[in-house]
Amino acid sequence: MEMNNRMTEIEQRSVCDGVNFRSVRDTKFKTVRMSVNFLLPLKEQTVASNAILPFLLSRASREYPDFTKLGERLAELYGADLSADVQKIGDVQMLSLYASGIADRYTLKGESTSTELSRLLCSVMFDPPFEDGLFPKEGFEQEQRQTIEMIDSEFNDKRTYARQRCEEIMCKNEPYGINRYGSKEDIKNLEREELTDVWRYLIQNARIEIMVLGDCDPQPVFDGFYHAFQKLGKRSTESCQTTNVKKADQVNDFTEKMDIAQSKLVLGFRTGVSLQDEQAEAVKLMVALFGGTPNSKLFLNVREKLSLCYYCSALYISMKGIMLVQSGVETKNIEKAKDEILFQLDEIKKGNFSDDEINAAKLSMCNNYRSLSDSLGGLEAWYLSQTFANYVKRPEEAAALISSVTRQQIIDVANNITLDTVYRLVGNGVEEE
Amino acid sequence: MNVMKEIKSTRIGDRYFEISHSSGLKIFVYPKENYSSTYAVFGTKYGSIDTCFKTSEETEPNCVPNGIAHYLEHKLFESEDGDAFARYAKTGASANAYTSFDKTCYLFSCSEKVYESLEILLDFVQSPYFTEQTVQKEQGIIGQEIRMYDDDPQWRVMFNLLRAMYHKHPVRIDIAGTVESIAEITPELLYKCYHTFYNLNNMVLCVAGNVDVYKVLELCDKMLKPSKDVGIDRIFEGEPDGIVESRVEQRLSVAAPIFQLGFKEKAGKSRLSAREIADTEILLEMLASDASPLFRRLLDAGLINQSSFSYEYFEGPGYASVIFSGESKDPDAVAEEIKKEIAGMREHGLDPAAFERSKKAVYGRMVSSFNSVDNIANTMASLAFTGHELFNYIDTIASAELQSVQNRLNFQLRPEYCALSVVRPVEA
Repeated sequence: MEMNNRMTEIEQRSVCDGVNFRSVRDTKFKTVRMSVNFLLPLKEQTVASNAILPFLLSRASREYPDFTKLGERLAELYGADLSADVQKIGDVQMLSLYASGIADRYTLKGESTSTELSRLLCSVMFDPPFEDGLFPKEGFEQEQRQTIEMIDSEFNDKRTYARQRCEEIMCKNEPYGINRYGSKEDIKNLEREELTDVWRYLIQNARIEIMVLGDCDPQPVFDGFYHAFQKLGKRSTESCQTTNVKKADQVNDFTEKMDIAQSKLVLGFRTGVSLQDEQAEAVKLMVALFGGTPNSKLFLNVREKLSLCYYCSALYISMKGIMLVQSGVETKNIEKAKDEILFQLDEIKKGNFSDDEINAAKLSMCNNYRSLSDSLGGLEAWYLSQTFANYVKRPEEAAALISSVTRQQIIDVANNITLDTVYRLVGNGVEEE
Repeated sequence: MNVMKEIKSTRIGDRYFEISHSSGLKIFVYPKENYSSTYAVFGTKYGSIDTCFKTSEETEPNCVPNGIAHYLEHKLFESEDGDAFARYAKTGASANAYTSFDKTCYLFSCSEKVYESLEILLDFVQSPYFTEQTVQKEQGIIGQEIRMYDDDPQWRVMFNLLRAMYHKHPVRIDIAGTVESIAEITPELLYKCYHTFYNLNNMVLCVAGNVDVYKVLELCDKMLKPSKDVGIDRIFEGEPDGIVESRVEQRLSVAAPIFQLGFKEKAGKSRLSAREIADTEILLEMLASDASPLFRRLLDAGLINQSSFSYEYFEGPGYASVIFSGESKDPDAVAEEIKKEIAGMREHGLDPAAFERSKKAVYGRMVSSFNSVDNIANTMASLAFTGHELFNYIDTIASAELQSVQNRLNFQLRPEYCALSVVRPVEA
């Protein structure tokens, strides 16, 4: 391996019990990016009330109680961004608040954007514009509507929809099967009165990961959070676990009909190996070789040799130990595609792959790891996922580990993979022009 | 002989090199200090709209099937001795390509073996190999790509809008063509298009990241096959100023309606200036950003949401329009509100405070884009094809003035050239 690449230096410290602070300072970036990530167990009862909170928080603060005034302030800070998101990481619901903007040195009038951004982030998080102790009615109703519309919008993208349905069916008895926003019904039934307590619980009891990356001094940002948490007193942190089903007992077979031109096929597999396990790197490599690159078994056979599809790829959800294979095909070709996908997996189980294929998968993955250090979003996502691993690795270390996986390890992990769910989203067969 | 020029920006603190290569190719190399990765784009000024053309050496125009530029992009990856992906597999580069309305670009990103990967890129793009059999094989794959887009409501709502705005201009045609049009594609037609547009004088190479300009040039000297500078006449039928129809609707499997609202503008052969583009960006930020009164009104009325509402200045050879898009329970009401706000801006003039804020916001976002090597390389390629320069564009934003932005309203956002495209849920 060429060693001309710089290592990514990460600094880690604790703010208080259950609150970690991680920073990567690098002047090669022209921006700063900060995020506060709240981690909570995914539960039917709390998923919707948790999900609405980051959106509610990011729209206003006591200092800027008006959505438009806050927007104007962000525009003045050179189009800075203050936003929210909800994700699912294994059986964990992650609520995030983000702030990003250009570094001080690129402002036209010498303003300090990074100090102001970290102050804004703290103020929306710790100091909401409560009216009589409650979130304002107008903002609550807006966010309720917008969350429902985000769920609707996911239905519009059939590739996303099919993937979500497969995961939902496959994990119907695990928290991972729950929609990260909750159901539309749950969101409709939310009461504004309950949300102040939810907010208090988030601040006091969620595990919190704060990230600060880019061209800015992390110390003042750390101090801001440190003082805010000091004022709140002692915290107690709810722990988050993810279940890992080792093997599928039987195959769920599910077909759904819809008015669409192209059918979607999603196969859900159990690998039995998740992020914390030693074999995780071997599974990552095996999935890349199987369907992660344009040199993979799936691309070369299902697409290039049989011309069945435009896309056919495999992805490994390491937090959950799941592998998904996704493809879009003509209805009449669904079974043919499925058979070929399973046949190619068997080829790997039997060891029918070349050293060139292994090396190609390794080079491709190492390339992805090493490129992470050039993107703030990439670094942030990487280190957040690493907080669930046994120890935090830098991307360069992960690249070295992947490079040392052997042929036999690939065969071994492949042989532990079992098909859990076959999901088909099938068109009505009406040929549209 | 190669001619090299260094271009610096004190504002951004970066520099890049522009080289007029003896082969006819324009090369841009943008070294990024302390970056691990490198991103390269080898592109041609040839996209889906170039369906009718004539070189200076021909007497009769050629008209080719819709979707052929994109088809050619797929097929160029195959050479006589295997495909480019198999070669990239040995360097670890992540490779891809895309075809848009006015360009086709081949790219890779890598963190090691930069020059080996660059050699592969330069080689395969200059080595066409099309046979009956390989062309036939692609029908199924691209057929499925087209089908995928048939189900994509964002894609459909956009092309429905373009067809509602443009009578003749080929921007109204799907980039990938149709299953029927691509069935007409032959190896001979692919060679015809290739030899016309993949002339180095019509192409550009942009490399950004962990890269040395002299090593890039050394490789270019070795790999580039000099091309004769042949003029290409792109033939477009005359496009009327007006739109085709003011409202179009399609039903698809969506949960809630989505829309695009377009305002067509006059667009001739010459492209817009950097000033015109920058002023428009600021004008749109003032009109419809998160901080605008219009956005607030639409949000409060429950007519739009933050995650989907957006706007863009969509412009290219012979076309220009401002397009608003999003999800809404009542797209017609959104269209009315937007038109009302524009009328108000015309009548009362622009707010100076909003102008200052919006200028800063547009400027800041442009600065942010310099973090990403893919952004830099792709933007340099786009700008090269339109005759603009990267650092000059950011200076143009920083020096924008209110009056000039206000003047854009005389040419843009005219209600008489406005069309609304809606995709509604299928009836139960």
